[in-house]
Amino acid sequence: MIRVISLRKAAIAGLSGAAAMELYAFLGSQVGLSSVDFVRQLSSVAFDHSPFLTHASALAIHLSIGVCWAIFYAFFFWGRFRLQPVLQGLIFSLIPAVLALVIVFPELALMRVHADAITVDPASFLAPLTLAAAASVLVGHALFGLTLGVLYRRPVGYPSDEKPDRPAARRNTPNRAKRQEGSASFMFATGIECSYPTIDHGRWRRDEMQSTGHYDLWQRDFELAREIGITHIRYGPPLHLIFEAPGRYDWDYCDPQMQELRDHGPEPIIDLCHFGLPSWLGNFQNPDLASPLAEYAGAFAERYPWVRFYTPVNEMYVCARMSALDGLWNEQLHDEGAFANAAWHLASVSIRMSDAILERRADAVFINSESSEFYQPCCPDPHVRQVAQAANERRFLPLDLIYAHPLAPRMHDLLLQQGVSQHEIDRLGSREVPRRSILGVDYYEWNERLIDSHGQALALGELFGWYVIASQYWERYRRPMMHTETNKMDAAGAPQWLWRQWHNVQLLRQSGVPLVGFTWYSLTDQIDWSIAMSEALGIVYPVGLFDLNREPRTVGLAYKHLIELYRDQPDYAECGALKEIMH
Amino acid sequence: MRRTQGDHALKASFLSAHGYDPGPSQRPLLAGAISGVLATVPAIPILIALGSLRVEAMILGQSTALTLLVGCVAMAAAGALYARVFGRAANNFRGGWLFGMAYGFALWAGGAVLVLPILSGGRTPAGVAALGVALSMLAWGLAIGLLLPFVHRPLHESLEQGSRHAEVGPNAAAGKKRPIRQQRQDKR
Repeated sequence: MIRVISLRKAAIAGLSGAAAMELYAFLGSQVGLSSVDFVRQLSSVAFDHSPFLTHASALAIHLSIGVCWAIFYAFFFWGRFRLQPVLQGLIFSLIPAVLALVIVFPELALMRVHADAITVDPASFLAPLTLAAAASVLVGHALFGLTLGVLYRRPVGYPSDEKPDRPAARRNTPNRAKRQEGSASFMFATGIECSYPTIDHGRWRRDEMQSTGHYDLWQRDFELAREIGITHIRYGPPLHLIFEAPGRYDWDYCDPQMQELRDHGPEPIIDLCHFGLPSWLGNFQNPDLASPLAEYAGAFAERYPWVRFYTPVNEMYVCARMSALDGLWNEQLHDEGAFANAAWHLASVSIRMSDAILERRADAVFINSESSEFYQPCCPDPHVRQVAQAANERRFLPLDLIYAHPLAPRMHDLLLQQGVSQHEIDRLGSREVPRRSILGVDYYEWNERLIDSHGQALALGELFGWYVIASQYWERYRRPMMHTETNKMDAAGAPQWLWRQWHNVQLLRQSGVPLVGFTWYSLTDQIDWSIAMSEALGIVYPVGLFDLNREPRTVGLAYKHLIELYRDQPDYAECGALKEIMH
Repeated sequence: MRRTQGDHALKASFLSAHGYDPGPSQRPLLAGAISGVLATVPAIPILIALGSLRVEAMILGQSTALTLLVGCVAMAAAGALYARVFGRAANNFRGGWLFGMAYGFALWAGGAVLVLPILSGGRTPAGVAALGVALSMLAWGLAIGLLLPFVHRPLHESLEQGSRHAEVGPNAAAGKKRPIRQQRQDKR
């Protein structure tokens, strides 16, 4: 699949566009304009004996062609240009217009000839195409394109006050292996991409589980993960759909999936908050998030007491940056203070959720996934160095808070400026971090950045690599670690990237870091990945182990190869560091 | 030679960067060829019913049987090309029919409307026969679009077999580079 499209929206847009075109032709003929009416053209070829049948069938054909073109537009054209949708539709209409002019219109003229075959040359073939006819065809198609552009937009996601259909029911498939509970083998993981931020200032919900078809195909997804040899799966039930109000939960959105995971695995690492909130909780500037989300975490742990691995809040730094600094999600602010607020709230939520889970399950294991970022100044310019240093301090803020690490002075002052009291900061700083906490370090090819001479961040690619960047996190926090996300947007280069990441993992383990797992993220391709879901375009990025048709990508085959090569090696079959944590 | 390699690389990188590239465990050419022939099943009755087959045979100066046979071979080749070019997009149950129809339309416009008259000294079907050619190509395109995902699935290698290809194994870490020893020999 190359695009996720909305068939319903495309069909409505196509029908409307064809109808607008037909109306133009009809009105044109009424006022005496020399307009080309494709309905009449078609009708005079096949059904010239029955006027009603002629017009009805030809109209139906014309409307169908309009729908086909609209779906073609949705698949191939929509979102390609950074233009207003209306203009995109208008530009697109040139394609059917040109084909209509040079192929369809002359061919329709040929079809009206009372002969089996004739001899033509380019001049005679195009002879029926007068200037007036050409102008009429162009205007008609422009109307079609404009209508298409106006009506077809936002093919993925839904209004934030609506809910999508519930997940498909669980099928009973016998003779499958049982989940291996309490295993301390190295974690060969993947994840189901589950981001659910809002865009358009809270009005539109992105829901990657819906866009990638997981709500319908969740059982197949888990089967595929098992076929690859995946032992653990990062899984984020949709908080925004489940947590309806204080004390009110719609567990239908995750009960079937959780039952399947409980019975057959892979072992889930439950991700409780992934870049979004239920609409009734507002956004990450809300200072009262911690209590309700702790209530949710507690309710979840009570309902699924067999779950042991949790990521209370995924990538707190990324969430705070995208929401409050880059202005892309949720509150959509561009403010350093708002970033500090969001980071503080997210860290508070993570801590309270962990505490709530520990009250229900004292041996819960927390995998605190965070994006590993690094900023390198391009030159010795003091301003550039200052920007890089500020960015490097910012990236650690949420982890510093949950791991009780001393804050960078600049971040400390920023929190005080936002009204966070010294007492609250001290309380977090003196907190005892749960023993079973694993630091998850995510890494992508854009995580290392150069601060250029204008103070702007540029993606560096793999300059130092995961080994070096993850080592910085190890030195700072001294927690057991896991590589919790990586992938590559270029599908052809993905196997190489996978193996290279794996060598980084091995090297870090050999250097004595307690490293317990590796993750290719995610199981399937993702939608609007390169623009961080900031617009609802529906573009598919081939980063998955499987494509959205659930067919294996080359990297899926490579990951299976890798897992089979290593899983029975003594230091992977039983991972000492994980055993220590699980104990 | 250099240009050919460059063109091939450009096409390959375009396909793979967009994720259309089928990967080593799939067999798009075989699946496309089989689907291309199967898709002639709804197209042939249209050609016969509207007299198009007879007219095309007359224009080409062949018997209808030979015209039909040549047509099936051409459609097998067209099917293989379709599956290779559209790659994973053609495997899509939801959108495959549309890609197929678009391809059928393109074949009609390129083949029947433009190439056939050139090959036959300007002779081209007209009247209802011309309508039959157009409808049959759209029907063929719709059919191959619908069929290919079903034909392709059983032809895949299993995950087990697919994961054994050398290109997905540990050497993939070095990309497609040759061993250093071999590179040194090349330099000499």
